[in-house]
Amino acid sequence: MNAFIDFIMGPMVWITFLIFILGLILKIVLILKDVNAREPYIYSYMTLKHSLRSIAAWSIPFFPKSTKQSPVFYGVSYIFHLLLFLVPIFLTAHIVLVNEAFQVSWIALDDSIADILTIMVGLGLVFFMIRRMMVPEVKYLTSCKDYLLILIVALPFITGFIAYHQFFLYRPMVIAHVISGEIMLILIPFSKFSHMIVAPLTRAYMGSEFGNVRHAKDW
Amino acid sequence: MKNKIIFLSFILFLLTAVVAFSNTELERLDNSDFQKPQRPGAVFEHDGHNEMAGIDDCNVCHHVYEGKKLVEDESSEDSSCADCHSLKAVVDNSITLELAYHKRCKNCHFEQNKGPVLCGECHIK
Amino acid sequence: MSNEIKTMDKSPIVKKKNTDEAVESGLAKLTRERIKNTINQVLQNETGPRFKAYVETCMHCGLCAEACLYFLSNDRDPSYSPAGKVKQTIWEMLDKKGEVSIDFLRRAVHIAHLECNVCKRCSMYCPFGIDIAYLMLMVRRICHKLEITPLYIQDTVNSHSATMNQMWVKEDEWIDTLQWQEEDAREEFENLRIPLDKVGADIMYSVIAPEPKFQAGLIYQMATIMHAAGVNWTMPSTPGWDNSNMAMFTGDNEISGRIARAFYETAARLKVKRVVMGECGHAFRSTYDVGNRWIGWAMPPFEVVHALEFYHELLTSGRIKIAQKYKKTVTLHDPCNVSRGRGLHDMAREITNMLCESFIEMTPNREHNYCCGAGGGVINCGPPYKGERMVNNRVKAEQLKATGAEVLIAPCHNCHSGLEDIIHHYNLNMEVKFLGDIIFETMEKKIYQSGD
Ligand code: HEM
Ligand code: SF4
Ligand code: SF4
Ligand code: SF4
Repeated sequence: MNAFIDFIMGPMVWITFLIFILGLILKIVLILKDVNAREPYIYSYMTLKHSLRSIAAWSIPFFPKSTKQSPVFYGVSYIFHLLLFLVPIFLTAHIVLVNEAFQVSWIALDDSIADILTIMVGLGLVFFMIRRMMVPEVKYLTSCKDYLLILIVALPFITGFIAYHQFFLYRPMVIAHVISGEIMLILIPFSKFSHMIVAPLTRAYMGSEFGNVRHAKDW
Repeated sequence: MKNKIIFLSFILFLLTAVVAFSNTELERLDNSDFQKPQRPGAVFEHDGHNEMAGIDDCNVCHHVYEGKKLVEDESSEDSSCADCHSLKAVVDNSITLELAYHKRCKNCHFEQNKGPVLCGECHIK
Repeated sequence: MSNEIKTMDKSPIVKKKNTDEAVESGLAKLTRERIKNTINQVLQNETGPRFKAYVETCMHCGLCAEACLYFLSNDRDPSYSPAGKVKQTIWEMLDKKGEVSIDFLRRAVHIAHLECNVCKRCSMYCPFGIDIAYLMLMVRRICHKLEITPLYIQDTVNSHSATMNQMWVKEDEWIDTLQWQEEDAREEFENLRIPLDKVGADIMYSVIAPEPKFQAGLIYQMATIMHAAGVNWTMPSTPGWDNSNMAMFTGDNEISGRIARAFYETAARLKVKRVVMGECGHAFRSTYDVGNRWIGWAMPPFEVVHALEFYHELLTSGRIKIAQKYKKTVTLHDPCNVSRGRGLHDMAREITNMLCESFIEMTPNREHNYCCGAGGGVINCGPPYKGERMVNNRVKAEQLKATGAEVLIAPCHNCHSGLEDIIHHYNLNMEVKFLGDIIFETMEKKIYQSGD
């Protein structure tokens, strides 16, 4: 069993990050290649200034009008996305493992704080799920794939939480945690989670069309 | 039927109580050298562990290094780990105390394919 | 009997909506093979990474819904939400790899042509900036290729194709109208001319075909303004004079490109410095943003100036002076094609304040203004759909009503017609005016001399 754990916490982590990062790079390269081949005119409208202007405006919490109209959703979404990165990166247990492997470490969250933040991520996902079930215009767009996406993000957090508290089935729980985390990371470039890198591109394009051609704001 | 459920719940309650109280008796490593430890000290029963693992030589764990070289045949069971492994990495010894403990135990458990290797398997709550 | 009602209640709402004979006869001629091939041809060969990103990145979050006039006017019915409309059209076409039914297509034509005015408001509310109007235009393109475009708007495209103008205006009819307006305007200014084909003039003035057809008075007004401002201008007598472009809204990109080319070529032939366009939004979109792209110009080959911008120039430079400000309370509709489409909303406000004594803002405004629900090709689908259009514009009516203004300024032709319908239908008791109407009414009728 230890050999299996060694694999999923050793080589498999390498494989995961390789797929995750190369996948994201590949995704960008393919998009740019496709743009060059089929829609090169896009570049004649894109400007760095207007791209960054739009991305910046949309990065300021509650600045775009859309965010002011749906403050609860955006509020939850901001916190969820922030914690999605923050908690795993600054979790003591993760840093300890990195330290064992590479002897580098950085400041860590207190376990008790990380615990609360994990609950917040979970609540965020519950909120997304309930919203999908209750709000008609969201429900209309939702298919089981959307719930699956929520589940994929939720699993590493749920299993991590249960394992940390050693509620039950400790060893299987950690294994499930590691594997579900790896699955999530691997899926990012190949699923709707790729919005992580595609969103800035679509935003930049719309920002440029609005700023450069239409002389109007897009937020 | 109702009685059965009440009886079963009672048994269950007793069982949890027993488990909960017996847990407090675990033998743990002294973690007082750490500032603000995030987890309880690792559960470690020295003699039982060595017997089970078949370790006779003390210096398997209580090693002595000179510079970067392991000194064979010498052992350090008289000094505490923290004497050599400080909380922060220093020039003389880059292996911090935490790392020393983790690597000492886990590397061996991985090599032997036996024993606890996950956080909560030693730092039992 | 009671049983029947129950089952009906449970069944999904089947939308019984008008369609028209062109749609129906087009649908009747379709074969499964043709539907599939056409859809796949358009979606695979005429789109690219942008389309792919829009489809693949949409998180189904529904935030775009809040933006859409149609969604809001239909009591937040999700099938009118922007992404909801994509779901009912593009997503399903992709899912089924083009093997969609006649009923699906009947619904798709309806959604793309009557339930979305391609106003792009939603792309300001989607966190990813997904361009749903572009996707809806892609559906219209497919409908065009399947020859199931609604009758009235298809007729305007046919007219474009045959005559290079939208209203079947004949060449002599056009020239006649201009001369007739010139004659009338001479009652105001003795020597007023509408110079035709004057090579090397500073400005080519260009209008949409409904002006000579129904609203020739607007040409009269502009001629007066040009004359009073002492502008060196001309109007073309040849095809290319009409800057409207309905083909742009039916996805008939080939004809759309021909229209834009004829327009620019006319300006080139007349060797003018720039083109001023009448108060029309969609025509501006065609010449400034869309038509130019189809014929290979990133930006228009000529400086194209919307009337709004031109008026601003005349007023701030003192070429036109206001004798007495307009007294009635006014409000201003920001046409999406020149505000969200060109950022002219601040200028529109400055002009309105220069002309009118009391200006009441409607909210939301500027880039965020609600669309009129007409000028994205919807009103051009004609009378069969008018009732439905009025329902879909309820929120616009409420927005207008809240201002309490007596006069509604709409510097755009289609807005104008759409808003007039709304005002009539909802008994709003407002008068719709162009900026040109108000300038004409309030200006000093004397010829500008430099140094005045
Ligand atoms: C820095 C990169 C990212 C950005 C800028 C970003 C942005 C967004 C935006 C704009 C939305 C749509 C609406 C919203 O929830 O605000 C969204 C939704 C979502 N994102 Fe991200 N995202 C990023 C990374 C990720 C990653 C890495 C994941 C998970 C692996 C993720 C999971 C989700 C989920 C599950 C939703 C949908 C919530 C729902 O069901 O409504 N995001 N994201
Ligand atoms: S483009 Fe305008 S009309 Fe069409 S879906 Fe978006 S907001 Fe609605
Ligand atoms: S707001 Fe954007 S991402 Fe969300 S459903 Fe609408 S189009 Fe899709
Ligand atoms: S008619 Fe006017 S508001 Fe309406 S679509 Fe035109 S520009 Fe937009």
